[in-house]
Amino acid sequence: MSKLTRRSALLGATALMTAFDSALLGSAFAQPVLPKRGGTLVYAQCSGNRRGGDASNTKHPYFMIDLITRSAYNTLTWVDEGLNVVNELAANLAPTDDKLNVWDVTIREGVKFHDGRDVTAKDWASSFELHRRRNFASQQIKSTEVTGAHSLRFFLDAGNSEFPYVLAEYDNVVMPANDDFEKIGMTGIGTGPFRIVEADPQRRMVFERFDGYWRKDQPFLDRLEVINREGQMESAINGFRSRQFDAVLNIDPRLVRQLTAEAETEVVPASSGDQAVIILPKHPGSPFLDVRIRRALAYAIDREAIQRIVYGGARFGWLGNDSHMAGTDPMFVGRPIRRDVAKARALLAEAGHPNGITLPTLYYAPQWPEMGRYFQVIQETVKEAGITLPIEERPNDGYLNFRQGDADVTKGNWHKFAYTAVGPRNPGISLFRMRGANNESGYWSGPGHDRYLALYREAMVTADAAKRKAIYAEMQKICYDEVPAILPAGRNNVLIRRPNVRGLNNHPQHWSITWDGVWKA
Amino acid sequence: MLIAIARRLALSLVTLFMLAVFVFVATEIMPGDALDVSLSADEIAMIPPERLAQMKRDLGLDRPAHERLGAFLGGVVQLDFGRTLMSKTPVTTIVGYPYRNSLILAAAVLLVAIPFALAIGIAAAVWRGRPIDNIVSTVAVIGYSIPEFVIGTVLVMLFAVTWPIFPATITASTRDPALTLLAASPLAVATVVIGSVAYLARLVRTGMIEALASDFVERLRLTGIPEWRIVFRHALPAAIIPSLTAMALYAAALVSGIVVVELVFAYPGLGQELVRAVTRREVHVVQAIALGSAAIVVALNLLADLAILALDPRTRRA
Repeated sequence: MSKLTRRSALLGATALMTAFDSALLGSAFAQPVLPKRGGTLVYAQCSGNRRGGDASNTKHPYFMIDLITRSAYNTLTWVDEGLNVVNELAANLAPTDDKLNVWDVTIREGVKFHDGRDVTAKDWASSFELHRRRNFASQQIKSTEVTGAHSLRFFLDAGNSEFPYVLAEYDNVVMPANDDFEKIGMTGIGTGPFRIVEADPQRRMVFERFDGYWRKDQPFLDRLEVINREGQMESAINGFRSRQFDAVLNIDPRLVRQLTAEAETEVVPASSGDQAVIILPKHPGSPFLDVRIRRALAYAIDREAIQRIVYGGARFGWLGNDSHMAGTDPMFVGRPIRRDVAKARALLAEAGHPNGITLPTLYYAPQWPEMGRYFQVIQETVKEAGITLPIEERPNDGYLNFRQGDADVTKGNWHKFAYTAVGPRNPGISLFRMRGANNESGYWSGPGHDRYLALYREAMVTADAAKRKAIYAEMQKICYDEVPAILPAGRNNVLIRRPNVRGLNNHPQHWSITWDGVWKA
Repeated sequence: MLIAIARRLALSLVTLFMLAVFVFVATEIMPGDALDVSLSADEIAMIPPERLAQMKRDLGLDRPAHERLGAFLGGVVQLDFGRTLMSKTPVTTIVGYPYRNSLILAAAVLLVAIPFALAIGIAAAVWRGRPIDNIVSTVAVIGYSIPEFVIGTVLVMLFAVTWPIFPATITASTRDPALTLLAASPLAVATVVIGSVAYLARLVRTGMIEALASDFVERLRLTGIPEWRIVFRHALPAAIIPSLTAMALYAAALVSGIVVVELVFAYPGLGQELVRAVTRREVHVVQAIALGSAAIVVALNLLADLAILALDPRTRRA
């Protein structure tokens, strides 16, 4: 042990005082780091984009979704990283009455298209004529009416308390008015922070800063280059390592540990991301007609093991609650029932399977790279409850048709005991997916289902968010009581970036990442 | 001579017709269709089934196979492969640049590989059984046996990641000029060149050994002609003639068969386009690429046959 001398005591005291001073002065006089303007940011995008365009339509907002939507275009609202809806080009948005089927929007003034023209309500009305015909979430819009130069009214086919979320959907951008549905949006002229200067279909998009952008002093970057590396993650990561890319979006969580150890690499997870739905078909002869077997399976799956083994922990994976709700949603209610192997065995015995049960084959496709190990973990953990679960991987191509079979079950081509991936959305859209008429619920029916749908309808015309939250909580409770489907765990989207890339945040909806505030130090 | 050419031309046309039918059948039996893969699960969950059925009808996906085969063959004759199912873009627009880019890559590879292969193959044959031959033969076997994606990955690790001299992945655009594309692709070219040199050098070596051991070379030696002259003026042409068909097939395979290399380096060629088209069930694009690649094989094979007919009088009697 070293001896305390006068010299060392004085030195220690000086060091302490210096540290105290710098901490005090540092906090009092610290200047916020101002974003630096200029520069080019090159990033690679790895997520599968099933609507990749071609030479004729690459600049259209419906194509190359992940690559252009939030760079070249804007919507009326935007869903933030916490899945809260906020205004974007809408200055004000409100229903006309408590039926919630007519909504008035006041549009932000002073917004310009990339060609310098002012955006008016006519452009929005014309854009929504396309969206309500083509966008899946906008089909509830019966019509629109221009009520002023900067105001618009939406007429819906039924009340929707969460209509602002519909307006945030990635397709629902504003484009210069055009009555021809085949031509509108083809020019690539939007209102976004960057304008398209080069478009190589499904491969590369180059943008330059739009000086007339409505957010003053943004964007910070002069140029943005997006390289599409769908299905070529290794190529993207090699590009990052060789310093060709400043960031790579949507990487496999399995690479996180390795990348975290690499120099000049920051791993940024989102608060959530897609989750897996295990569809439990309820056609004649299916074991899942019996709610006890559905519950037994839900009890037997070790969700924490999936989170731990497949995603490497809570930072990169989250636990589902057997509804389509995203774990990061403020209205998400955690599943109160933990894994209970004894209870699973008791339920199986009660259902006439005291010695365990062999379930039909569970099919999955590798829509995300981790799906193979995801189902291996499930297969192993349910064994403890006496459940034998054969699993089989199918190719992504044609998988949708394969798993859905015929909607008409009298043809004998039953829908399968199978997996699908779902993205995080608002409660209204998410919970509606468990309706009996949708394959993802395994065509669920019965009193529980009827109660669920009645609650959904009530929520859609309930303007008060707190009351809606209570309704949604009850709907989620029905899901983990009746187990129409099992949604054990989900992924957090992961991106990597260089330390000098600032303001680039990850998002549970990988298509909703914004580039306005991104800059390079 | 003319009869022989006509016979080979006719054979090529029959082969092309059979290939067209085969390509159509092969693409027909693929599971799923363009609509399946173009819609997301989100969309499928929200769109009513009757609307989905209507979309299928609009895309012509409900027409019987024989009707589509007739239309396909009619189009092939006019070099019209139709339009993409989802965006209605002419297929020739989609595949034009990828074809050009694959040809550029193949040409660059052959331009580098052929002189190397000739030099190495000749040296190994001339000094047969000597250390140089042993080294060349061993390295050639190894070079030819290692899969191209392994060579590519090693080159990336060495020259893009460890020593960042060259780009790891190609970010150039599909429509960039040839020189821009090649400047962005040194590792892709090097990867294919390594395999190509190994293959072609073995071919040249074998041909040269046979030629150098033949009677006519022995007679030339007895007349006192210098050995270098025998090698380059007499033995080399004789060695190359039998290899021409194999070389032509190899060149054709380079155009259409370097899918893996294109994927490793994200080179904007036919391989990437083919994978994308299969994934998206764009049957017309798959058909155009498959048939186009087959046509290149047939055409190069025909050219090799014609070259042999011109160079080797013995074959004209066949």
